[in-house]
Amino acid sequence: MDVLKVNGVEKQFAEGEAPGTVSDLLDHLGVNAAMVVAEVDGRIVQREEFGRTKLSTGQTIELVRLMGGG
Amino acid sequence: MERLVIAEKGFDSRLLVGTGKFASPEVMAESLEAAGAEIVTVALRRVDIENENDDTLAAIDRSRYLLLPNTSGARDAEEAIRLAKLAHAATGINWVKLEVTPDPYYLLPDPIETLKAAEVLVKDGFVVLPYINADPILSKRLEDVGTATVMPLASPIGSNQGLKTRASLEIIIEQATVPVVVDAGLGLPSHAAEAMEMGADAVLVNTAIATAADPVAMGEAFKLAVEAGRTAFLSGPAAAKRKASASSPLTGFLRD
Repeated sequence: MDVLKVNGVEKQFAEGEAPGTVSDLLDHLGVNAAMVVAEVDGRIVQREEFGRTKLSTGQTIELVRLMGGG
Repeated sequence: MERLVIAEKGFDSRLLVGTGKFASPEVMAESLEAAGAEIVTVALRRVDIENENDDTLAAIDRSRYLLLPNTSGARDAEEAIRLAKLAHAATGINWVKLEVTPDPYYLLPDPIETLKAAEVLVKDGFVVLPYINADPILSKRLEDVGTATVMPLASPIGSNQGLKTRASLEIIIEQATVPVVVDAGLGLPSHAAEAMEMGADAVLVNTAIATAADPVAMGEAFKLAVEAGRTAFLSGPAAAKRKASASSPLTGFLRD
């Protein structure tokens, strides 16, 4: 079993079936990458690096975006 | 009218508008336009991975508005710095409205953590616009570390109470060498006009516009009030007096 902690939620995947990169994770979740930024284990990942940033079991990922605010 | 200049960037509008609490992206976009805003604040939050459909900000024309990400939700300097860096990564913008509000009830800003975060962010090359209580000494300390503005509150965020901090705001305005943006608590156009008449360089409004029955019309009302208040300030207001002073001649009355 592979586990990724995404935005505070533990996502479980059958072994070897977890999304391999940040881009794959966004696709899996149905999240549009526009204006999204990711943090993997506390390190900021720029959008242009999403496809190159490999994920592995046990990692903590934060996906954040801009929204309305004052 | 002379332009508002923040960090060497000029703006015709002195009304900054927040993008929270609008009923729809369309109403928000129309309200920003009616308000004549050029700087609009935005927040940074986790993507809702169970229900991913937030597209609020797609309605903002980024060629027209400068997005000013805030650090709302930060409870200390460390969280604020993290949010500022994430916002920079998300937008490419290095401007940040620095907010550190550990108290969830009044959302009052923490002066010590705000100053700490400001110092780090300025050194990292950010243009920092700190949201603060109306504290003249803190304002000077923030200027000293290189913030682009100070943004003292009129009253608690979203409270619509108006200028509860007037006496301290007057001192801040008198002493400031960076633009003073009165932020938070302005509930009516008259509150915004009053702040501008006092000599504030700009005001920031969100709740009062977004939650009005007609946000578009209220956006315009705030725009007019800010312009009127600024013009009045530049016109040199007449002094207030305790006694009456006749406006009409005191001669030529129709009586013996």
